[in-house]
Amino acid sequence: MLAYRSTSDEHSSAAALRAIPQGLVIPTTARARTRANRRQKTARGESDAVERLKTGDQEAFEAIFNLYSPKLYNVALRILGEAADTEEVIQDVFWTVYRKAKSFQGKSQFSTWLYRLTVNAALGKIRRSKKNKEVQYEEFLPKFEKDGHHTVRPVVDWSDTLEENYVKQEMQTLLAAALGQLKPMDKSVIVLSDLEGLSDKEIADATGLTVAAVKTRLHRARLFLRGKLAVHLGHSAS
Amino acid sequence: MAARKTTVKALTNKTCKQIADLVCNYLNDTLAPRVKRDFNQHLTICPDCVAFLNTYKKTVATTRSIRAGDMPENVRNNILDFLRSRARQNRTRG
Repeated sequence: MLAYRSTSDEHSSAAALRAIPQGLVIPTTARARTRANRRQKTARGESDAVERLKTGDQEAFEAIFNLYSPKLYNVALRILGEAADTEEVIQDVFWTVYRKAKSFQGKSQFSTWLYRLTVNAALGKIRRSKKNKEVQYEEFLPKFEKDGHHTVRPVVDWSDTLEENYVKQEMQTLLAAALGQLKPMDKSVIVLSDLEGLSDKEIADATGLTVAAVKTRLHRARLFLRGKLAVHLGHSAS
Repeated sequence: MAARKTTVKALTNKTCKQIADLVCNYLNDTLAPRVKRDFNQHLTICPDCVAFLNTYKKTVATTRSIRAGDMPENVRNNILDFLRSRARQNRTRG
């Protein structure tokens, strides 16, 4: 067992994750080259740490915990909305990682597996708590006539009104609250996409949905959020 | 107004609803070239869809700018303590 290493080891993951870049695609700019190098190092280091984790290496486990727990905490917190539940979920996720690392076959990225464990644990907690209230999206979705044209016209372009800082902050607060009203799976999809930057394919792998279902849920969730902003600004959701 | 609607449909092969349904793929740049051309063509003559697209993009941008809270240090330590303790028990048993 490793002694707990304090703050300077917050970022010790990089050191623990030894890296050997290979198969580099030559980027056209120095910055792109640096980014590519960093990605290569992370990927190689991650793969090395996962292999060591499979043998029960505690140091590798803690390196992975240090690397991923902040991200996974944010994902779980966004889905659950409560810090206490989030702590339990992250605890369960990493205990599962410790016990089940051997069964990770590398068919998807390791990070995707972690996201999947986190989303499943968070959604399971919501199901068990039965606290989630179903929100009707309909009121906040755009409406169209039978011939496919906008029902409410003109559609107001309020995008420029969010440029002011205080408005932006107000809208961020509003959106954070609106995120909490999304159906749990829709919330998971939008958190993984718009907040974590995962691709549709990675989200599909993490949630067990098809790519088409991810796109549908993402679009509907964004429309709902857009409608919330529009209504808050005094316009039609359409 | 009715005449304008007919014109929009006739000129672009896409209705506003179809445009709204394609927005996600348009932003991901995953539309087929012909569909993308129709999409852009529709935007040139339909200010409602331009407004819809701008507000959709702004919603995504604002969502992306929401900063999640950092994991508190005491939470991190609690979890690590728990995991170390469970791992130790596991090894003792195992």
